[in-house]
Amino acid sequence: MPNASDTERTLVAAATAPAGRRVPARAVRMLAFTVCAALILSWPGLAPNPYILSAGVMVASYACTATAWNFMGGFTGYVSLGHAAFFGLGAYGTGVLIRDLDWPPFAAWLAAGVIVVLITVPVGIAALRVRGASFVIVSIAFVLILLLVAQTWQDLTGGSDGLVVPRPFPDLSRPEHHRAFFYLFVALLAVMLLAWWAIDRSRFGTGLKAVREDEDKAQALGVPTRNYKLVAYLISAFFTGLSGGMYALWFGDLDPIFQFSVLLGAYMVLMALLGGVRHLYGPLLGALIVGGALEYFELEFGGTQLHLVAAAVLLGVVVLVTPDGIIPAVRDLVRRFGPQDSSIREMTAAELLAHNRASGRGGPPPDEAPDEAAAPGTGEER
Amino acid sequence: MTAHEPPRSLETVDLTKSFGGVRAVDGATVTFRHGRINALIGPNGSGKTTFFNCVTGMIRPDAGTVTYRGQQITGRPPHRIARAGIGRSFQLCRVFPRMTVLENMLVAVRPAGLRDLVGGAGSPAETDKARRLLVRVGIDHLENVEAANLSYGQQKLLELAGVLMGDPDTIMLDEPAGGVNPALIGRIGTLIRELNDEGKTFLVVEHNMDMVMSLSHHVVVFDRGRPIAEGTPSAVRADPRVLEAYLGI
Ligand SMILES: Nc1ncnc2c1ncn2[C@@H]1O[C@H](COP(=O)(O)OP(=O)(O)O)[C@@H](O)[C@H]1O
Ligand SMILES: [Mg+2]
Repeated sequence: MPNASDTERTLVAAATAPAGRRVPARAVRMLAFTVCAALILSWPGLAPNPYILSAGVMVASYACTATAWNFMGGFTGYVSLGHAAFFGLGAYGTGVLIRDLDWPPFAAWLAAGVIVVLITVPVGIAALRVRGASFVIVSIAFVLILLLVAQTWQDLTGGSDGLVVPRPFPDLSRPEHHRAFFYLFVALLAVMLLAWWAIDRSRFGTGLKAVREDEDKAQALGVPTRNYKLVAYLISAFFTGLSGGMYALWFGDLDPIFQFSVLLGAYMVLMALLGGVRHLYGPLLGALIVGGALEYFELEFGGTQLHLVAAAVLLGVVVLVTPDGIIPAVRDLVRRFGPQDSSIREMTAAELLAHNRASGRGGPPPDEAPDEAAAPGTGEER
Repeated sequence: MTAHEPPRSLETVDLTKSFGGVRAVDGATVTFRHGRINALIGPNGSGKTTFFNCVTGMIRPDAGTVTYRGQQITGRPPHRIARAGIGRSFQLCRVFPRMTVLENMLVAVRPAGLRDLVGGAGSPAETDKARRLLVRVGIDHLENVEAANLSYGQQKLLELAGVLMGDPDTIMLDEPAGGVNPALIGRIGTLIRELNDEGKTFLVVEHNMDMVMSLSHHVVVFDRGRPIAEGTPSAVRADPRVLEAYLGI
């Protein structure tokens, strides 16, 4: 039975374990990353027919939108159900710039992304004045307004007759077109993941996560929360807009009902929540599952509403069973049954409690006894 | 007497805030002097926390002004007030539960504009500073633990360390001894005294009378949203108005 100071030392040693001991974990992660990346990139070669191939493009576009959503939803905890607004704006911006101004397709695409950002500045300033449920409502209102505008402003959008976006690569056959766009979406996704990773470890990202955990507290510590939230919202809108523009170039036919759809926004939320909003690859994983399922229903049962029911059931399951998403849930499982990691960072609350109990210095968890305090002598003994 | 009063640090004039019909803070005019440990005491519901919130910008007062070191700060957003040098803790200790102890500390790092977007959460110097503060409050061995996994007392220490990370001149603590065991109360008291020796001004809301009496240089008594008495701890303890407010005599 170790005495208290022994345990104390083990804890300290574990916390400052040399980086060398993490190498196997990093190697495993690198391997997993390489395998997954290789699988994704070889999809166009594996797909047996153009339908399946185009389903893959659709899933890749879902992965982009869900990851784009997560720049706001994941970092700040502000759940927007209206992100389809940015998707639609990006899509129509791209289409209109090509059709009316004859811009080169990808210049139009990038410009549309910038336009989305410019439109989002006032919207963000207004929407981010409220929190929680009010923000959700405001975000939905925004997409509904845009839907009405797009349907009414026939001259610009073609209304429900649709807007035909000229194909950027007219010489490509249908499968080649799908293949090209699959890679374009994956490249866009890669850029987003890189940006997410960079923000995640930055001061900006730390501030955003603090907003998600406790916005008032973050403000009290000097985080300029309003500016941070707005910048996150703009980044999120920009990438969502680019996803929409890419979709316009790929699909070539826009209808307000589909581009400015609350359902599309809801899918983004579902995918991100399912995979895990706190994790880099969470939305991607969620998109693979939800997007894959949606495409399967579409292919198998055609245009029924069955996929809606399935999505609703899935959302219920996610919220009830794995509120943090699949990635953290699987991680916990692996941790429980897999080889023990020496890092104390990897400890769960229960394990830490057990650890403290074993060393006879911890007490009951905070919610049991609020007047429990720091382990007496913690720190002073050393 | 006024000749050797230290300079004014934080002042409020006629500060007022109502919730519906309740006047939580009711025309409070108070001056806190620089370099002192000031205590703010008063019965539950007398408006101490609301007073804190008005001063730190968490709540916009209905009327009145807040002045800090000669500058009007009324109605400024909380992060500006924090950057101006007022750090605060919350009555029910608040940390970022799903961030590690070290990440909790780095939240309070001073923003650097566009450079915030790239690079790490804290520079080596800032991370060093965070670690030194964690050593100071005695939870440095927990730096990689998620804050939710800390005991309540450890969370209180983390919150205090996080406030110190922003280099405040004035530190406002809302019931630092609330819900904490006696050993830790002693330690928090020692920390406050040491920090005060280093020049920090304190404004402490506290119910623990032993702590208030032993620690503070100046005590302000709140009742129904305004100060009813103030002075040295011993003078305040003997003041009949204070006894009345507390004991209803
Ligand atoms: N957010 C709020 N909404 C409504 N009433 C509040 C709010 N905050 C405080 N009050 C009321 O204001 C009064 C003062 O409360 P508070 O400032 O918390 O006092 P203290 O900290 O001295 O116990 C109480 O009557 C309380 O019920
Ligand atoms: Mg209070």
